Amino acid sequence: MNTFEFLGQSRQNRRSILQGLGVAAVGISFGGLTACGDSGGGTASTGEEATLNFYNWDTYIGETTLEDFAESSGITVNMSLFATNDELFAKLRAGNAGYDVIVPSNDFVERMIQSDLLEELDHALIPNITNIDPTFIEVPYDMGRKFSMPYTWLALGIGYRKSAMKGPIDSWKPLFDSNEYAGKIALLSEAGDIIRLGAKYLGHSVNDITPDIIAEVEAMMIKQKPFIRTFHEDNGQDLLLSGEVDLVLEYNGDIAQIMTEDDDIDFVIPKEGSQLNSDNLCIPKGAPHPLNAHAFINNLLDAEVGKKITEAILYPTPNAAAKALMPPEYANNPVIFPPADRMAICEYAAFNETLQPLYETAFTRIRAA
Amino acid sequence: MIALFKRREPVAPLEYTRRWSMRLWVIAVTFFLYAPLVTLVAFSFNDSRRNIVWQGFTFKYYERALNNSSLMEALVNSLTIAALATVASIILGAMSAVMLWRFRFPFKGAAEGAMALPIVVPEICMGVAMLVFFAKIGFPTDLPWPLNLGAITIAHITFCFPFVTMVVRSRLTSFNREEEEAAKDLGASEFQAFRDVLLPHMKPGLIAGGLLAFTLSLDDFVITFFTSGPNTITFPVKVYSMVRFSVTPEVNAASAIVIALTIILTTIALKMQSKMGGIAQQGH
Amino acid sequence: MENWKSAKAMFAAVAAVPTFWLTFFFIIPLGIVWLYSFGTNTSLTEIEISGTFSNYARALDPLYLGILWKSILVAAATTVICIVVGFPVALAITFASDKWKPWLLLGIMLPFWTNLLIRTYALMAVLRREGYANQSLGWLHDNLGSLLPFIGLPAPGAYEPMELLYNNFAVIFGLVYVHLPFMVLPLYAALDRLDKSLIEASLDLGAGHFRTMLTIVAPLAAPGIISGIIITFVPALGAYLTPDLLGGPDSQMIANVIERQFKRANDWPFGAALSFILMYATFIAIAFQAMKSRQAEARQ
Repeated sequence: MNTFEFLGQSRQNRRSILQGLGVAAVGISFGGLTACGDSGGGTASTGEEATLNFYNWDTYIGETTLEDFAESSGITVNMSLFATNDELFAKLRAGNAGYDVIVPSNDFVERMIQSDLLEELDHALIPNITNIDPTFIEVPYDMGRKFSMPYTWLALGIGYRKSAMKGPIDSWKPLFDSNEYAGKIALLSEAGDIIRLGAKYLGHSVNDITPDIIAEVEAMMIKQKPFIRTFHEDNGQDLLLSGEVDLVLEYNGDIAQIMTEDDDIDFVIPKEGSQLNSDNLCIPKGAPHPLNAHAFINNLLDAEVGKKITEAILYPTPNAAAKALMPPEYANNPVIFPPADRMAICEYAAFNETLQPLYETAFTRIRAA
Repeated sequence: MIALFKRREPVAPLEYTRRWSMRLWVIAVTFFLYAPLVTLVAFSFNDSRRNIVWQGFTFKYYERALNNSSLMEALVNSLTIAALATVASIILGAMSAVMLWRFRFPFKGAAEGAMALPIVVPEICMGVAMLVFFAKIGFPTDLPWPLNLGAITIAHITFCFPFVTMVVRSRLTSFNREEEEAAKDLGASEFQAFRDVLLPHMKPGLIAGGLLAFTLSLDDFVITFFTSGPNTITFPVKVYSMVRFSVTPEVNAASAIVIALTIILTTIALKMQSKMGGIAQQGH
Repeated sequence: MENWKSAKAMFAAVAAVPTFWLTFFFIIPLGIVWLYSFGTNTSLTEIEISGTFSNYARALDPLYLGILWKSILVAAATTVICIVVGFPVALAITFASDKWKPWLLLGIMLPFWTNLLIRTYALMAVLRREGYANQSLGWLHDNLGSLLPFIGLPAPGAYEPMELLYNNFAVIFGLVYVHLPFMVLPLYAALDRLDKSLIEASLDLGAGHFRTMLTIVAPLAAPGIISGIIITFVPALGAYLTPDLLGGPDSQMIANVIERQFKRANDWPFGAALSFILMYATFIAIAFQAMKSRQAEARQ
């Protein structure tokens, strides 16, 4: 028997052992998980089955929020994760696979309302709506909060490393239109935001954009491209922290999070104005447990629960009652809650069906240039 | 001292692996492959919320990873899917490789093309296709574990087995059909000839293909994302969704645990194999 | 190769399940998307299949063809590097002693059972401006540089970190990193069953090792090499996570554009058209391989 037959035989043994181990592992985990998979049988006080399918961003909830809710209401929450709004929309447009509560951003709330993908909310089941700061009730993307409840809000701006700056930073110019910080800039890889903010820098409103303005912004960006280090996927705060770049286009909440780890970082909303975002709680059409969903949303808007969530994620909160319970370092932090004069020049970006594809094509051209 | 540098026996022309140049090359490649992994494991002990700067040594992320039930559930789901998909892919891949290698039949060209398509399709296109397909046929989404992983597993098998087919088929081209005919002359049935002559020859291809399929399945993100339901968290999806808030050392710790588990399991398998191989040799 | 009619039972046994599976779970879903490529968006979620070719016309625009060409170049570079790096490794595993073989195989596969995203982040930690590559190079530069005055050369200036990340170099590096085992495994499977006496004969007749490799081993292992090339080139062409994370502002590959259509742009028909153009292009390579392997089989 030469070496190769021997190898063939031993491989057979090894293979069947590996297969056996694999089956054993599957069997063990099967046994182990049927115990934990046995969640929330029985009915909740709402009369529905005592479970809820929650589709959320990762780590976008308090440390004990779901357990506390399970205790107080008897409803077990299954939280699944998505990473971007587009993924959420792509999954839901083919049909609701069984999600009860989702967390889209404001422009996607608009998109989903226009696509008839959301259930109308019954305000009678959400008494905690009174906790919300009144400025967040009549918002352009969902007047009167018929389809959504606000969860967090964010503002786009410039995060920068103080020691590396040659002068005060107060404009979009270093990011969009100058080679002062060549090779040390990172922009958000989001077509709509880039075009809209470029337009804002050039003096237009974010909701007042025409194809000519898009072409103007595109030309400016193509000129700026050699000085940009990278287009980041919402991890700009890491790039800033690691010293890879010195200026990023990022959300104030993300920058506030890294400011706790590095004193040399600061944030500003430029004088030309910026864009506001907000993440919202919605119920998609075809949700299997709508009453549970309402109860869950109401719970998330509670002051104490909201406080715990905010402590965990440190994003700006639209929940005035929760904000009142937070320590002053949070409520008075100028990065998390920018001064009123800067907030006044920020707008929500409306979703525009005809312009969105133009933004995408322009961005493809910018990146291919 | 000189004995250290003296070769035990001279290197034969064909013993490539004993040449220093080859060994150096393999060591260099191994370094290239493992250096980022070593940093990954090293950073799992980092006492910082982010993975950027070193701030101190701690075990707390291992504790948090093991106690993080959703992370553990995601890992178990991914391993289960990968195991099931690998087994099914090996079977389907072997069958289709034999079919393509051995037989002439009408529309064979089309079959070969169709078999190659899953390798060529961009993942996102396939993900969307499966999403729409499962929605249209009304695939149930509230089955108990592990049946709720059904949609994902089906999708994984579909894109994994053509890789196995390709590897096994290239292995089959070196098969001498006379061996099979000799077996049949000696009285073996069609099936026996397949099992005892063809299958052993295919084994290295099956192993290589199986390893490939396991890797592809374990790491797949796009297709898994589009075919997963409300109750099915898988590891790549969980990790990818952490992008928005930056990857904590917890994930590094979980990956280190997976690596350690894999090493332990395969070491056991190899040790058992050498024992059994020894017994088999004695039997001769 | 025999006609299927001569062994019908065997043929049915091996052909039934894979064919059904492929048809039902792949051809049909893909067919739906193929139909979409001839459709238009009538609303944000509805697609009407109107039999229009406008999506394909748009996809053949020079903008997208340019991106496709660039992606082909990057994938080709990746494949070539993988062959150069992987062939000696596959050779070493084939000729290793039986004790070491499984360990070497495992050693090659192990990094690839780690999640791609985490591995990419780890690569970024190595390649970035203040990452380990630059740190070690900087340390060498400073320490060795301080020795230079002893031989009379001027001391070099401060170390400028090399730009190893956010450019095409990083993308190719990352792609090679991810796709290396996809090249090594098929190569190993092909080399393993090679008749070693042929190599011995060639060496006896006076050919050097390198020449033996090129003229004897490579042609015999050709099916394995070609399947390795295809398994490396095609996924590299369709890679989008690696260029996304490691690439610079102009490292945009075709898969990134396709992803953008299915996600942010919400333009499924156009994304479908782009995907199918990509598939038609790579299909030619597959057909080429099928032709070659049928030639090899016919020769036997």
